[in-house]
Amino acid sequence: MSKRMVLLGNEAIARGIVEAGCEVAVAYPGTPSSEILPAVAKYADELGTRTAVEWGVNEKVAFEVAAAASFAGKRSCAIMKQVGVNVAADALMSVAYFDLAGGFVLVAADDPGPHSSQTEQDSRSFAQFAKIPCFDPSSAVEAKHMVFDAFDLSEQYHIPVMLRPAGRVNHCREDVELGAVRPGDHPAKFVKDVRRWVCLPAHVRLTHPQLNAKNDAIRQDFESRFGAYNYELAAKKPAKLGIVAGGVSFAIVQDLLASWGREDVAVLKIGTPVPLPEKMVMDFISRHDNVLILEETYPVIENQLPDRTKVKGRHNGFVPRAGELLPEVIEELVLRALGEPGVPGASPELKAALEELQIKPKPPMLCPGCPHRASFFAIRKAVPSGIYPSDIGCYTLGVNQRMVDSVICMGASVTQPSGFYLAHRVDGKEQPLVSTIGDSTFFHMGIPGLVNAVYNRHAFVLAILDNSITAMTGGQPNPNVGTKLRKGDVGARVDIEGAVRGCGVGHVEVVEAYDMASGEKAVKAAWEYAKAHQSPAVVIFRHPCMLLRCEQEKIRVRVDEERCVGCKFCINFFNCPALVFDEGKNKAVVDDRFCVQCGTCIPVCPHGAIVRVSEEA
Amino acid sequence: MKYIVAGIGGQGILFATKVLGHIALGKGLPVIGSEVHGMSQRGGSVISHFKIGDYQSPLIASGDADIFLAFDQSEALRNYHFLREGGQAVINVEHPAELAHPRLQDYFRQRRITLHALDGLGLIREHLGGKFLFLNVLILGALCGAGVGNFSRDEMRQAVGELAPARFREENLKGFDLGYGALAK
Repeated sequence: MSKRMVLLGNEAIARGIVEAGCEVAVAYPGTPSSEILPAVAKYADELGTRTAVEWGVNEKVAFEVAAAASFAGKRSCAIMKQVGVNVAADALMSVAYFDLAGGFVLVAADDPGPHSSQTEQDSRSFAQFAKIPCFDPSSAVEAKHMVFDAFDLSEQYHIPVMLRPAGRVNHCREDVELGAVRPGDHPAKFVKDVRRWVCLPAHVRLTHPQLNAKNDAIRQDFESRFGAYNYELAAKKPAKLGIVAGGVSFAIVQDLLASWGREDVAVLKIGTPVPLPEKMVMDFISRHDNVLILEETYPVIENQLPDRTKVKGRHNGFVPRAGELLPEVIEELVLRALGEPGVPGASPELKAALEELQIKPKPPMLCPGCPHRASFFAIRKAVPSGIYPSDIGCYTLGVNQRMVDSVICMGASVTQPSGFYLAHRVDGKEQPLVSTIGDSTFFHMGIPGLVNAVYNRHAFVLAILDNSITAMTGGQPNPNVGTKLRKGDVGARVDIEGAVRGCGVGHVEVVEAYDMASGEKAVKAAWEYAKAHQSPAVVIFRHPCMLLRCEQEKIRVRVDEERCVGCKFCINFFNCPALVFDEGKNKAVVDDRFCVQCGTCIPVCPHGAIVRVSEEA
Repeated sequence: MKYIVAGIGGQGILFATKVLGHIALGKGLPVIGSEVHGMSQRGGSVISHFKIGDYQSPLIASGDADIFLAFDQSEALRNYHFLREGGQAVINVEHPAELAHPRLQDYFRQRRITLHALDGLGLIREHLGGKFLFLNVLILGALCGAGVGNFSRDEMRQAVGELAPARFREENLKGFDLGYGALAK
């Protein structure tokens, strides 16, 4: 009783997770992985499985919760984006040594490009670092199959297994076959055994060699048993080029060769890059004089080759070492490897037209009506000479309002002001500092930094921009919201204000984010408190995310052309998609395509040119 | 058949490709495509690749698309390069003068590109109370009206009706018909 549906790659992976009988699935949202867990909940509801489906407060938490479920014998998985693996790394490195009970799969979604990340790191390298096997799918359909094999392999060798889709697999849309839940019973049964579950150094002296032996055996398996993922597309004519490819690059190469109708290029597809089926790859290389390796984003296959003399790849600079291997990039690489003339580039006429018309890509901006925009504006007014560290989330786009000066990773908005504070204090200087962080990010990794700042007495203001959702990644709930994913599953809300006070912060004020006058006053008062008490102070700016489409008062606005002097202050410091500058008229105008009538821009104009449109008009 | 759909985050591009996929699957045709999620969705440039037929990769190379749908004129300009020689484009246009740019016209001529342009926002202002969210279905209607692509008006209209949320169904169909009417001969 199979059925086909057009699914997002992430939905295909989710479907695989549920069909494979996974009973505990935990994730933290992050592009390009975010749609997997909600789809796990959807399919679990549809198929009536018992699967526990939860957002963890961060990736380390998600990984550990899922890992312990595996200790207890359950099939479990942890799902995150590539930089989330950095957060989970501490646990990953340890758990790799464990002799697991239930199958345990780590889904780590990479983002070559990057399209929505702060790094272009390759999670396959992490698999290698942790000494765990890794599957690298080339399509949504293959990713779903790999989920089954990843669970089976994990159970066979009692080892965590990584599934590493790159973003183009996560966000591809493809017709996928839906199946039923596979039979299998994995009752919860934790067998106590300190040598197995307690990572004492004495135990590691035994488990590390065991882990190495598992890797050797799995490598043998990948050489022989996984022909569905590692196979050669032989050339019909004598091959002028042999390509070793994995992930999306393999799919692109296939389409390219088919469209050219070329029969003189052989391709070796590698779907299990870690540990590399080395004999298979070296045998392929030995049969070709000219070899090109295509993989994203690090040279993981290439690094594992004992001899790279014949190989055109990243080590000899043939393949670009950064950026996505897009079809046109691969087209150029293949032709160059063949020693044939390249394809003509973009039309010079089109290029000239683009330049003359001054067409540039449109950068992302905070949505019209976004409460963060008003919060940033209030903070600038309160503390105009501040340093403004920030964090990972929609509010990183506050950079457009010149209100984001430094961002590292999740939670670092709370620790950076400590560093800025100390740097200035050792010089005997006072520097105003206002950091911004979102509600989900605060719970993710903001709390340890805040406890640290209270303990060490660092003076700064932390503005928590509470829009009651994890917005950037598509609107997932978090502890501040309290809802859960599966039907009938009830969560509990964790109060941010209480958590902040619990960290030892003595000054906390909550304001309505749209009310910029109150926001300004609150930030001023918080900075005064911080200075006086040599302690962090917190202002919580609260207003629901516009994507939640809550009912709110509609305030129509227009720009009064008489009063507008064309100073662009509103464009530069408020930066709303619905406020645009008409260069011809030298005036700001409201773009009705985007305006959501929130009215927050009215107090922004220093000349009073943004006015409310009266109802009778 | 290879489609590129381009616009700005929030314009409902994903829904447009969803409709195309729904029809293709109903006809038993294999489909594959690629979408943009995450930060770029916040009002930035968004592009969607969509292929019907026997393909392995979700991406379309520059110079390889048969059909190009653009929800925004600037995004159209940035992405014409995806079109193959002889390709067709359905474009929402706000500044018609820009299209007359001589170098751009040279490009269209040299590459034998057919342009189907319509003032989608103007139509929505006039007939749909300025609800610009329906631009996506309007462009799909225009695609059928222009006789571009491999799906009939009825197939497309039915798919829009099936995939639209119930409370927006009527307006979606109205938007589709507006687009169809604008370009039907």
